[in-house]
Parts: sequence; C-alpha cells; structure tokens
Amino acid sequence: MNCDIVPIIPLGIVGLGAVILMMLAAFEKIHLEVAAVFSMCVFALAFVMQLLPTGPSDMAPYSELFRGMLVTNGFTKVAALIILACGFFTAMSSTSYFRQNSFCTLEFYCLLIFSVWGMLLLTMARELITVFISLEIFSLCIYVLVGYNRRSATSAEAVLKYLMLGAFAGSFFTMGTALVYGAVRSTGFAAIATFIAENGFLETPALVGGVFFILFAFLFKIAAFPFHAWVIDVYDGASVPVTGFMATALKTAIFAVLVNFLSLDAGLKGAWLDILFYITVFTLFAGNLIAIGQSNLKRMLAASGIVHTGYLLIAVIAVGDNALSGNIILFYLAAYAASTLGIFASLSYLGGQDEKRCSFDDFKGLAKVRPYSAAAITVFLLSMAGIPPTAGFMGKFYIITTAFQSGQALLAVLGIVSSILSMWYYLRLIIAMYFHEANEPFEIEASPFAPICTLILAACVFAIGLYPMVI
Amino acid sequence: MIIDYLVLSIILFCLGIVGVISRRNVFTVFMAIELMLNAANLAFIALSRLHESMDGQVLAMLVMAVAAAEAALALAVVILLHKHTGKLDTNVFSLLKG
Repeated sequence: MNCDIVPIIPLGIVGLGAVILMMLAAFEKIHLEVAAVFSMCVFALAFVMQLLPTGPSDMAPYSELFRGMLVTNGFTKVAALIILACGFFTAMSSTSYFRQNSFCTLEFYCLLIFSVWGMLLLTMARELITVFISLEIFSLCIYVLVGYNRRSATSAEAVLKYLMLGAFAGSFFTMGTALVYGAVRSTGFAAIATFIAENGFLETPALVGGVFFILFAFLFKIAAFPFHAWVIDVYDGASVPVTGFMATALKTAIFAVLVNFLSLDAGLKGAWLDILFYITVFTLFAGNLIAIGQSNLKRMLAASGIVHTGYLLIAVIAVGDNALSGNIILFYLAAYAASTLGIFASLSYLGGQDEKRCSFDDFKGLAKVRPYSAAAITVFLLSMAGIPPTAGFMGKFYIITTAFQSGQALLAVLGIVSSILSMWYYLRLIIAMYFHEANEPFEIEASPFAPICTLILAACVFAIGLYPMVI
Repeated sequence: MIIDYLVLSIILFCLGIVGVISRRNVFTVFMAIELMLNAANLAFIALSRLHESMDGQVLAMLVMAVAAAEAALALAVVILLHKHTGKLDTNVFSLLKG
C-alpha cells in the first residue's frame, strides 16, 4: 500500500460520508435517527483509520501534489482523533435531544460531518490560505448549526452575532496572510520558518504586522480575553449538542493550528510571549468572574470554557522545544472534551422540551430522582474543577508542572488560584443536585443514546485520568 | 507605484473596520466586512506584481470564493432576522446580553 494515502484516508471517509448523506437528505430517503447512526458510523470508521500507524515524525502526504501544504505527525493525529470522537458523541447525544425538540432535519448531520472535515483539514494545514479555507469551511457549517432552530429569536440573534464577529476576525486573518505574503513571498509555513531563520523576526515590519493579525483571528476563535464576550451569547443561543460540539471540537482544532503556527520558529513565539502572558492571566480571571455571576447552566459552562482556554494558553506559553509539551496540550484537550461533552450530553436528555430546564434551580434534587445521571454530572464537574483521580486533575497537574519547569512560576500560581476560584460555580450545581428536595419528576422521552453516551464519557474521564501515558 | 496600491488597500481595510464598529444596519456591517476582505485581495494582487509571481493572484481568487460563500450565508441570516423582528437595525437585537 502506498503509505502517502494513509493519513488522508480519514479525511476521505468523512468527506465522502458527508456528501452521501447530503445526497440522501436531498431526496429525504432516510429517517433522522438512521442519519444519526450513519454519521456515527462515519466518525467511528474514520477514527479507526486514523489509528493506522504512519510513524511519529513529520510527513507530507503527496508532497508533489499538495506542495507540502498538508503535514501530519503524531500531534495532528491525536488532535484529529479528539475531533472525531467529539463528532461521534455529538451525533449520539443529538438523537436524544431531537426526541424532545422538533426542529431537526437531515441536513443537521451533514453540516456536522462537513464541519468535522474542515477541522481535520485544519489540524494538518501548513499553509496560511489552506488554514483560512479550512477555518471557513467549519465556521460556515457551525454558523448554520448555531442558527438551526429557525423559530427561536434567540438563536437567530446568536448566529448574527457569531457571523458578524467571525467574518470580522476572518478578514483580519486574510489581511495578515497578505502582509506575510508580502514579506516572505510565500504563505507556506516552511518558507516562513526559513525566512525567519535567515532574516530574524522583528526585522521585517510587514511580517510582524501580519503575524499580529493572524494571532488576533486565532485568539478570537478560541475566545481569549479581549475577544471573549461573544462566546457566552453564542453558546446560550445555540442548541445543547451544538454548544457541546463548539466548545470541544472547535477549540481542539484551533489550538492544534495555533501550536503548529507558533512552533514555526522560536523567534516568532518569543516576540509574543509577554502579550500572551497578560492575555492568559486576564482570560483566566475574566472567565471566572463571568462564570460566578451566571444563573443559567449553559452560560456558566460557556464562561468556564473561557477559563479552560486560559489553562491551554498557559500550556502554549510553556511549550518548549520538546514534543512532550504538545502532548500536554492534547492531554488537556482530551480531558476537557470528555467532561464537557459529557455534561452537554446529559443536558441534552435532561433539558426537556425546548430546553425548559436551563438554570441551576431547575436541577434541584436531581440526585433523588435520577441518581445515576446526577452521579455522572458530578464526575464531569469534578473533572472540570480538577479533583483527583479524574482526567481534568491530571491535565491541570501536567500544565502547572510544565509551567514551573519552564520558569513561568507566576503563571502556574495564578493557574492554581483560578482553579480554586472555579470550584465555586462547579460545586454550586453539585449542591443544587444533592442537597435539595426534588420539585419535579424529570421525565424524559425514552431514547437510550444520550444516557449511554454519558456513561461512556464518564468512563473516559477516569480512563484518561488513570492511564495518562496513552497519549 | 505599487506602494500606492498597498496604501489604498490599507485605507480600505481601515474604512471597513470603522464601518463594522460604527454602523448599526446589518447590511452595512456585512458590506464593511466585504470591503475588508477585498482590501486584502487588493494587497495580494499588488504584492504578486511586486514579487513578479502569480501566487498572489491565485490566493486572491480563493479568498473571493470564500467571501462569496460567506455573503450567501449572511444574506440568509438577514432574511431570518427580518422574519423575527421586521427590522435590520442591530440595536433592536437585545435578547442576549453578554
């Protein structure tokens, strides 16, 4: 077998699956739940294919055809695995969600698969215009998914806000690419790295300006401090499975490309370290302050997503030259994805019709009525708060020890402080579930998918935590 | 000569930023975003002339394709909003206060 094709197979499967499902949707030949199972199969097959060995070092598949625009290595492979798993569990929990909410059509699953395709391409992209195009592929899909409930005025507003700000950031990215092209004569990562190695980074103003615009766009997409305000409204307006998908898969893809971009050259990263330091500190504390003030669960989870972006930025700053540091980011992303997807999966079957249960008070006494669901939610919350022996604890532990080792002691201490602050809003939900009497029966429509999904993810939280050496 | 094109491109980009920030009509905001993308296209083409290579022109074509897709989606969103509120002024959208 030609080994160039192995890293491309998952992309091919996901793209083909999306096109087939779109064709079927055009003729309305299949039932909604069949489409959900079909997309789960596509993700599972791509996941298995992604596990095929390709060797740990950098490899450019079909380098004559793609001119080195796509590069795979161990890092991109694991990032793609996380994204595929996010897609799988999102499709799984949407089936239960759409038993109680009726605005779903077959195109929902097409868009989900297409956005995963864009994210997979983004993790491999080593050329700025390829990055831009894959960024827009999944952004356009997610804009539609956010506004999918056409009857809801809230989700229409959310998609307007997201589209306006997303396109604004996208145009900054294009302008940044133009400036980099002006300085370097090329938009390939390899050419940029060679150029910086020869001429230095700060000596070329056009390059500095271009990289500034590009980082602006990335920081917007991961909702870092000055650009975090949109995330809360957009997560609130989107439906529960879509929110879970955005919070996990999108963040994984953007962090993968951010790490690839910043690790081009030590000079490029060194020039932004001070600014990134302040952005990280403000991201951690702004996220915590916003989360403490929320009474709506989805808004609280959105704000806590900002805090997790902060931890990941600590890891990005502390990343050294060794490959281990990239693994720490992936480990944290996997741990965060398992617990966040788990919470959103349980919300998607406990939320009830039209997401009527959405605040802390609505979940009072859940443990008395549905003890297993309450226990699973507790596991996810403890993992997000970073309590041993969950995966979240191991992730935070690695990030903070790396920060200490690379001399960022202040950042490590602030990370611990913010972790303690975040207990406030995670424990609040646990207290509401366990120490209050139940006011309502929490009836749910029978669909086994989301509860099974919750169970698997709860097991994943412990598995990732107990076997940290897997990644 | 080519510097003039780059200056024009930066002026257009700044006009776009001002438009996004100061205008309240949804259409005008999307037009301002298109202006920003086209400013980048102008820079690509001017720089491709400067470097005497065709790369920049190809990149400009790709950006135009993406911009068209985004405009199609933006118009769909505008119709959706108009159905809900009957107005296109961003001030009337206040259900989500972040």
